[in-house]
Amino acid sequence: MAPKQVRFKCLMCGHEYDGMYDHENVTERSCPKCRSNSIRRLPDAKVAKS
Amino acid sequence: MMDVGRHPKVELFTNSEVENVTGFVGNFNVTIRKKARYVDANECTACAECAKVCPVAVPDEYQQGFSSRKAIYMPFPQAVPSAYILNMDNCLGNNPIACGKCADVCEKHCINYDDQDELVNIEVGVVITATGMDVYDPTEYDEYGYTRFDNVITSMEFERLICAGGPTEGHFIRPSDRKIPQKIGFIQCVGSRSQDGRGNPYCSNICCMNTVKDTLLLCDHYPGVEAKVFYMDMRAFGKGFEDLYMRSKEEGVKYVRGIPGDVVEDPETRNLLLTVENTTTGKLEKHELEMLVLSQGVIPRQDGDSIRKLLTLSQTSDGFIMESHPKLKPVDAPTKGIFIAGCVESPKDVKDSVTQASAAAARASILLNAGKTKIEAITSQVDTELCNFCGICAKVCPYNAISASDRKAEKPPTIIAAACAGCGACAAECPQDAILMRHFRDEQIMAQVEALVKDDPEKHLLTFACNWCSYAGGDNAGTARLQYPTSSRLIRTMCSGRVDEKFVMHAFKMGAPMVLVSGCHFADCHYINAVHWTQKRMDRLWNKLDKLGIRVDRLQLEWISAAEGQKFAKVMRELEERVQTVTDEEIEHTKKVLAEEEAKAEAKKKKKAKAGAEVSA
Repeated sequence: MAPKQVRFKCLMCGHEYDGMYDHENVTERSCPKCRSNSIRRLPDAKVAKS
Repeated sequence: MMDVGRHPKVELFTNSEVENVTGFVGNFNVTIRKKARYVDANECTACAECAKVCPVAVPDEYQQGFSSRKAIYMPFPQAVPSAYILNMDNCLGNNPIACGKCADVCEKHCINYDDQDELVNIEVGVVITATGMDVYDPTEYDEYGYTRFDNVITSMEFERLICAGGPTEGHFIRPSDRKIPQKIGFIQCVGSRSQDGRGNPYCSNICCMNTVKDTLLLCDHYPGVEAKVFYMDMRAFGKGFEDLYMRSKEEGVKYVRGIPGDVVEDPETRNLLLTVENTTTGKLEKHELEMLVLSQGVIPRQDGDSIRKLLTLSQTSDGFIMESHPKLKPVDAPTKGIFIAGCVESPKDVKDSVTQASAAAARASILLNAGKTKIEAITSQVDTELCNFCGICAKVCPYNAISASDRKAEKPPTIIAAACAGCGACAAECPQDAILMRHFRDEQIMAQVEALVKDDPEKHLLTFACNWCSYAGGDNAGTARLQYPTSSRLIRTMCSGRVDEKFVMHAFKMGAPMVLVSGCHFADCHYINAVHWTQKRMDRLWNKLDKLGIRVDRLQLEWISAAEGQKFAKVMRELEERVQTVTDEEIEHTKKVLAEEEAKAEAKKKKKAKAGAEVSA
């Protein structure tokens, strides 16, 4: 599975941002705003809806 | 190297690559590809007659391209074995009609154009990884003019030029006019300690003392030479290093605290003009130099990924191999029976590399001499009754300790207890709950969840903390007397990868307002990459909660290292505030939804079992 652009949401501060997601090569996520690691990768359907 | 080559108990494979490694401590099977050399190394006397007649000349890699070599060549003067090698990429062809001059002239008939790669299998008890490092390529620092000006060279190129065995026989001449320069500058930290996105953020450790040594060599070879070193910090921390640094200063070497921002060349003299802010005086200075040496940093081996994967080694964020424990097991890899030495672990000088290599050899010999090894009881086992042979466990295992199952043959996976480190990622990922842990069992953790949320569940933050980092981070916060709410309840697991979806769901079902899963930072994971599965699982869990209409921010994830007591306390304080926002209605709704889900799943399971029984009947 090739790396793709996805939307992330910080569950601590609510900040949303775009980033690359590679299923094979997972990297540590941290919120660029509050540094929390509770970063949810938003499902594609949810991003399209919003 | 010569000693190693001659040692009766050392079998040396040169010009070879490790193709595959299987097995576990005491029983590794290594497949090595011995690449075709096209020259019989046992017969070759290194007379050099072949190289004399070879018509092909290519830049000599060992001499940094300052001189040329032939297609058939000796890699470097002290190479072991002391024999020539033929590079087929450079050779005019293995057809003797095309050239064949080297074969004609070789009296010992050592040259064999039909030589083939050979695969060798060896059984070893332990493996020491010492694959070294590469040097940083400074071309991206365009302001120093490395690609534009002939008289800007790297520290590796300097090394060849000043070496008596180098292309100029030790005469340090500048490439533009072959004259001996009198004003030479050195720029430190090229590609190291960089925060601007170029190069690397870490200190390369060896460059400061290498430059001090280079300046002393210059002063020794050419008394009266004017050498200037542009630096941000000189790090002379080793034994005798400060003395060497002081000696360099006494020899007249000028140390300027400041990294040049720009280098331009005078087209007539080919001299270089540096602009630098001297941070000691706070003034902008201009320096005219005849030659400039870029003190390049050290980077992890660019072709080291395959060996890292074969040996299930983990790497730090800067790309070097991670040790099992930085203080207590500095030469052990997380996988038992594998050790690391030298720059593969981090940039280091010869002395440190030798020290580490000796330690690795000693650690290896302890295992080999004992002949047997103790393993931790915390390992996993397969319940063959429940296993549906999906193979997920084998895919998840960071140690390759689980052999793949065979769905067609209905063969369950087998777990090599000696290779299993007990992270529990396989048990957490198994969709059939067919992997059982010998310790930290599902029932034990579920019972802990129930006990901790028994009284006033709505007030408590339930935290799953990994043994090595987050739990230790909590300890750190405690010993540092950092204040954090007392309402948090901790459950220790060996790894955050052990935290099964059902533990989290069970906590919510029991009325926990919030759950925190915490583990090691990716670079600190004690189980190679088990923590990656935690993150993937959390994504799944958040989606599941969302689907069930449960607030996703009630499940949090934090990476907390053993040294981050402050972060632990901060997270606990922040989540305590969040616990207050979870209403009783929300908790009741969650309990209801999850109870319904559980009932549905149970009904589905019964239906499936019934259908299975009918089919078999």
